[in-house]
Amino acid sequence: MKAIVIFIASLVFMYADFLFAEISPVTISGLEVYFVPRLLLMYILLISIYISPSMSAFTGIVFGIMLDVYIGSVYGVHTFGIAAFVAFMHTAFRVFYRDVVAMAFVILLLTFVYESYIFLIYRVLDLVSLPVFDYLALRAAPSLLLNALLFIIIFVTALKTSKVRNNLQSKH
Amino acid sequence: MNRLFNRNKMLIILFGIIVLILLIGFSMTDRDSTTKAEQFTADAAAGTQSVIGAPLNIITNIFSSISQSFNAVSENEDLREQLDMLPQMEEDIERLEAENEELREALDVSSKREYESINARVISRSPDQWLDSFTIDKGTSDGVEEDMAVMTSEGLIGTVNRANGGSSYIEMITTNTSQDNLSVEITHDGSPVYGTISHFDNERNLLVIENIKNRSEIEEGDDVFTSGLAGDFPEGIIIGTVAEVENDEYGLSQNAYVQLAGNADDVDSVFVLQRDPESMEE
Repeated sequence: MKAIVIFIASLVFMYADFLFAEISPVTISGLEVYFVPRLLLMYILLISIYISPSMSAFTGIVFGIMLDVYIGSVYGVHTFGIAAFVAFMHTAFRVFYRDVVAMAFVILLLTFVYESYIFLIYRVLDLVSLPVFDYLALRAAPSLLLNALLFIIIFVTALKTSKVRNNLQSKH
Repeated sequence: MNRLFNRNKMLIILFGIIVLILLIGFSMTDRDSTTKAEQFTADAAAGTQSVIGAPLNIITNIFSSISQSFNAVSENEDLREQLDMLPQMEEDIERLEAENEELREALDVSSKREYESINARVISRSPDQWLDSFTIDKGTSDGVEEDMAVMTSEGLIGTVNRANGGSSYIEMITTNTSQDNLSVEITHDGSPVYGTISHFDNERNLLVIENIKNRSEIEEGDDVFTSGLAGDFPEGIIIGTVAEVENDEYGLSQNAYVQLAGNADDVDSVFVLQRDPESMEE
């Protein structure tokens, strides 16, 4: 049951990510500012804490493949990225005590690092040529702000998911 | 035990990096077909999206129809004015088409300009929007194939990169991997000058066309079209207008910087162009 809820919630967050592409970029005083949501990534990272790292890694790989094949020009970027970030989250979070502020900080930091990782790969492949400062000002910072706001929704959903019973008959 | 676990983890990471590099290599190679596995995965994603997106679409449609109704009256008047000229234009087109057909039959040639268009709607785009690429709701079952030209009502914007059963992935002409030395025709004073697309200059937002013969006298404002000489693209699809012309670094040919006619940032519906198969056999 829990697996089904995780799968459906991940699907909804994946498409919610796509929906943001309809309103972004926003033109502010002649500059195009990109808001890139990472709802799916944040949800998968939270699953690794509240449910299990293996479930999180599995969901990450499945949705990574879907993202790569459905909307990606370069295969492997999301599949490898999400799986690696789940592993990193699992390793990094062992250092912190399980309190919400530290966890929110780690997750938001990881969304920023994930965005930078994709930027780095595209820069190496010569697919984009945005200067690093422009990237930080027009993409990374606004995206971080947006993700900080959206984190609350994801956090509540992940908490609710963790309370779903594994099995429908587990009452007895 | 702990050391063994760490060594295993290192091996997994190394293996992952190797797989990533192989996958990047695979996706960057020139392929003219989409594998069944890719088609299945992309169609599954598109199918679930349409199920999940249905309630969201209903809400968005209600809001957009409310906002559109405010401008409806003035828009209606403008369109009515444009419609007054339509019957005459339709008559002219019919007459010219018939005349064209007769002349072509007399010469026994098929036109590279002939194509059928498949209307498609953009269903999703990558949230990070690094490459402006997107997915449309038409696939091989509707006649879409890899490397077909994709345009908006304004002009050419991209090519079909992967055609799945019920959806297709479109790569924009602004993405530097997609152009593949596409041949173009620049019209100067009614005479054509040929060149090939080199790359998209991201800093200046202009498309660079190279291998234009010297002393071609092309100048700012000349229109740029597809030439139909190579690939599956029909002839005469507008790409944009020349914004600047300069000699190449060796002075052997000229380069032109072209302002694209189609707006890559704001695409909702597109046409996939299916070139007349007869003209491709020649």
